[in-house]
Amino acid sequence: MPTPASLLTPELLAQLERLEIVTRKMFRGRMKGERRSKRKGQSVEFADFRNYVPGDDLRLLDWNLYARLDKLIVKLFLEEEDLHFYLLLDASQSMEFGQPSKLQYARQLAAALAFIGLVRSDRVRIETLGQTTQQRSPVLRGRSSVPRMLRQLEAIGLEGPVSLAQGVKNFCLRNTGRGVVVLISDLMDKQGYETALRWFVAHQVDCYVVHLLSQEELDPDVKGDLKLVDCEDHDAAEITVSAPLLARYQHTLNAFTQGAREFCTRRGIQYLLANNQVPVQELVAHHLRRRGLVR
Amino acid sequence: MDTFFFNSLSPWQWAVMGGIPPALVALYFLKLKRQPLEVPSTYLWHRVIEDLHVNSLWQKLRRSLLLFLQLLVVGLAMAALLRPGWRADALVGKRFIFMLDNSASMSATDVSDTAFHRGPRSRLSTGVAGSANSRLELAKQHAAAMIDRMTSDMSAMIVTFAEQTQVVQPFTSSRKKLREALQRISPTAGRTHLRDALELASGFANPERITSEEDGQEYEVTDPSPVELVILSDGRFDAVAGFSLGNLRPQYLPIGSPEAANLAITGLSVRSDENRPGRRQVFVQVANFSDQPQRTVIDMSLDGKLVDAVEMEISAEGLSGVTFSLGEISAGVLRARLEIPSSFADRLQLDNTAHAALNSDRVGRVLLITPGNSPLELALATERVARLAVVEKQQPEFLQSLKTQQLMESDRYDLMIFDQCVPVKMPHCNTLTIGRIPPLPQWQERSSDKLHFNPQIVDWQRAHPLLNLVELGNVQIADTRIVQPPPGGKILVDSTLGPILAIAPRDQFEDVVLGFEIVGSETQGATQGQRTVNTNWPRRYSFPNFWLNVMQYLASGTARQDSPVYQPGEPVELSSAILGKMPVLDSSALDSSALDTSALDTLGADPGLDRPDRVGEKSRAGRASEAKSRKLKKLKVVLPDGASRGLAPPQHGIYAFHETYLPGIYQVFAGKERLYRFAVNLLDPNESDIRLRLGSGEQGGLRVVDSISIGYVDIEAQVQTSASRREFWKWLLLAALVVLVIEWYIFNRRVYL
Repeated sequence: MPTPASLLTPELLAQLERLEIVTRKMFRGRMKGERRSKRKGQSVEFADFRNYVPGDDLRLLDWNLYARLDKLIVKLFLEEEDLHFYLLLDASQSMEFGQPSKLQYARQLAAALAFIGLVRSDRVRIETLGQTTQQRSPVLRGRSSVPRMLRQLEAIGLEGPVSLAQGVKNFCLRNTGRGVVVLISDLMDKQGYETALRWFVAHQVDCYVVHLLSQEELDPDVKGDLKLVDCEDHDAAEITVSAPLLARYQHTLNAFTQGAREFCTRRGIQYLLANNQVPVQELVAHHLRRRGLVR
Repeated sequence: MDTFFFNSLSPWQWAVMGGIPPALVALYFLKLKRQPLEVPSTYLWHRVIEDLHVNSLWQKLRRSLLLFLQLLVVGLAMAALLRPGWRADALVGKRFIFMLDNSASMSATDVSDTAFHRGPRSRLSTGVAGSANSRLELAKQHAAAMIDRMTSDMSAMIVTFAEQTQVVQPFTSSRKKLREALQRISPTAGRTHLRDALELASGFANPERITSEEDGQEYEVTDPSPVELVILSDGRFDAVAGFSLGNLRPQYLPIGSPEAANLAITGLSVRSDENRPGRRQVFVQVANFSDQPQRTVIDMSLDGKLVDAVEMEISAEGLSGVTFSLGEISAGVLRARLEIPSSFADRLQLDNTAHAALNSDRVGRVLLITPGNSPLELALATERVARLAVVEKQQPEFLQSLKTQQLMESDRYDLMIFDQCVPVKMPHCNTLTIGRIPPLPQWQERSSDKLHFNPQIVDWQRAHPLLNLVELGNVQIADTRIVQPPPGGKILVDSTLGPILAIAPRDQFEDVVLGFEIVGSETQGATQGQRTVNTNWPRRYSFPNFWLNVMQYLASGTARQDSPVYQPGEPVELSSAILGKMPVLDSSALDSSALDTSALDTLGADPGLDRPDRVGEKSRAGRASEAKSRKLKKLKVVLPDGASRGLAPPQHGIYAFHETYLPGIYQVFAGKERLYRFAVNLLDPNESDIRLRLGSGEQGGLRVVDSISIGYVDIEAQVQTSASRREFWKWLLLAALVVLVIEWYIFNRRVYL
């Protein structure tokens, strides 16, 4: 069972302190936060003027204009709100593979990103694909929620077979608030990942897909005549390993990742292929920063 | 199957073996041995193998190098179980002597016949024959096959035997050297003499102590271990009697076929017409060594021009002779050639041609030893006699000297006439003794030295060349001795008291004895020692005629050496008498009336030979001839194939030439001048009959080749060589192992196609 220390090391925490989650869209927050929101509200940053209508807060009237124009004009300011930051983890059986296992890696990555969000007072919610529409995870907010967040992540275990599309659909139905969604998954769904990603597009969230593959999947070290058994549906594939076969696998894998990348790019989804051999620290500091998720 | 494969498994074992490859293939397709491996998702793998499922059977086969290698391993193992090999003669023993017969009969080209030829060799022949086109080639191939089977601890030597035995390669264990030695063996036209070769082999097998040096290495062949003696021959030789094989363990591999037919010239002789000495006759004998009568044509050509041709029929296994009359020819090369009918498979070409060389009539040399006989000397002084012979004269005292005896044993004279004297020992030439009985037991026993008076001549052999045109009816004789020739002799003149002239052969010479003296001497009374006339024959015409006949018949030598025929390998002695017609020598001889020994010098006669006339100063003529003779001391012999051999001057007056291996005409030159020609012909029925002798036994309905007999041992023709198998299943297993290693490597490296 992973411990908080195993998920986030002090060095990583020190590094993460300086980062913040970036969103390319402006969302409405739920509570006062540190991010500009679409909502007009109380901040120091001017947004617009509008005519006074009865019911407006008189404190918002621009008295200088009234004096000059003899009109009641309301001065609007940008509101600073918090950000919805969702972390959606794929905890299917297939995530169990790899050293470290993909799930563990996903936990680490989620912890790092959640920590960034919590530090910046964002609303962080960590969910898995296996959760139904009713099962909601608690919203975490503020630095004080870091231990809770870690405990929640540690509690995530392997789930039964769940379709990627169904999981995303449930997630979208559960969470109406818009924000930044980071999906950490291996996208190995026999029905395809396209439906699932389309849900995100429809939900108008700022979506990041971290396509997490283990080293065994990227460069399988197999030989001889094998009967490959799918860990989820126990589907079998009989292969005789040969150099052409392995080359063909690489070709297929490249086509798969490239297809996913293209699919995402076309739909404004940021795609990142992650290898479980790359340290989380490096992934966050370099790759995700380059992708624009963190700053 | 038996020859190449050896079945080492029973049928049911084979059934199990046969099931392995299909099982292997089945296992391969059924993939019973696939290891399950849990993977995160087979999503990608399915997409990978989707393509492979298209025509997957073919794909699998094509890419199944491992399957192929596994099948190869199993196949090799199964082939190894079959124990493939070939039948080979086991070489039992450590030391071998390969004796190859390279006599004339081994040139026979009946090698291809061996396919239909009975048991003994056929098995070996079919294995080895092939490119061989003569028996010798086949024998060489057999020997090479045996050499190939030699192991490193075996040693062998190669000996050829024909007229002469030759060690082609001394004992060595180097197979390369042995094979090279085999290549050096060439056929000869000689007869087969096995005995010399056996004695040589026996020297190696039963040694006192023999070392043979080769490349500085010394092989001591002293241990009396047995030696395998492999005789590769056609068996055309007589049994070798009185020979002990000792440690030799002989094997006889007969080469050839018992059906090989051959037409051969087995005899050729040139002689003067008995009645007309100037004319020549050639007698040719042809033998048919086949079981069918054959017709053939014999061409006779002189110096390449056809002189005559005779068609003759020769019965099966028969001989036939024909005589060609050639008229008065003096010199040239005669060639008799058989025209073989196309329907006849003549297997030996060597004996279809025979040669004879006619050397021009040479001037004979006659030594007259007489105390004085003027009628005779007069009769021998005629011009015609001078054309025929050179007559030298000596006193009877000359006979007493020991040196004279040596001279008489030389070939210097063709005829010696002993008038009223006899030699101590008969000379090495024809003789005519007048008024004495020769010192030969056969003559002495039958004739008497007693004088008979007043014989009347009653009959004489008018047909004999000596009495050609001699009329003796008017000859009267005072006294005579009665001469009875030994058996084989002939009485030429008979008188009322008994024969008074007779001729008898002695070796290759002839002795004529005239019973009565022509000029006698008184033996008693006051006139003792005085010359008296014993007969009135010198006053008759017949007297010079008779002496001319004597010169022609006995002195001119036409009957003896003018058409010499030798057999291949036979050494040829070129004596002073044969070469005596050299002009230089003749003139010098004619110059001196007395015995001119300088002629002997010229031909390199023994310097120790005493020369009766050499007491004083040498004559100028003698010196001149000696000066010329120095140039002649080195002779050159041109062989039938055009090669020439120098002939160094001999020690004892007789040049000896040994390289008479090729049949044909040999020419002897002194400088540019041709002195002499002689012919070498096979003329040996034993060699020309090239059929393998069949024994009395039978095997498998086929008659077997007769054994050869050495001493008291009969060596069977090898009906079946002690066959063993050379197997290479070990190599197959090794190959299987190598393939297995390769398969393992490929499996691990995944280096496929």
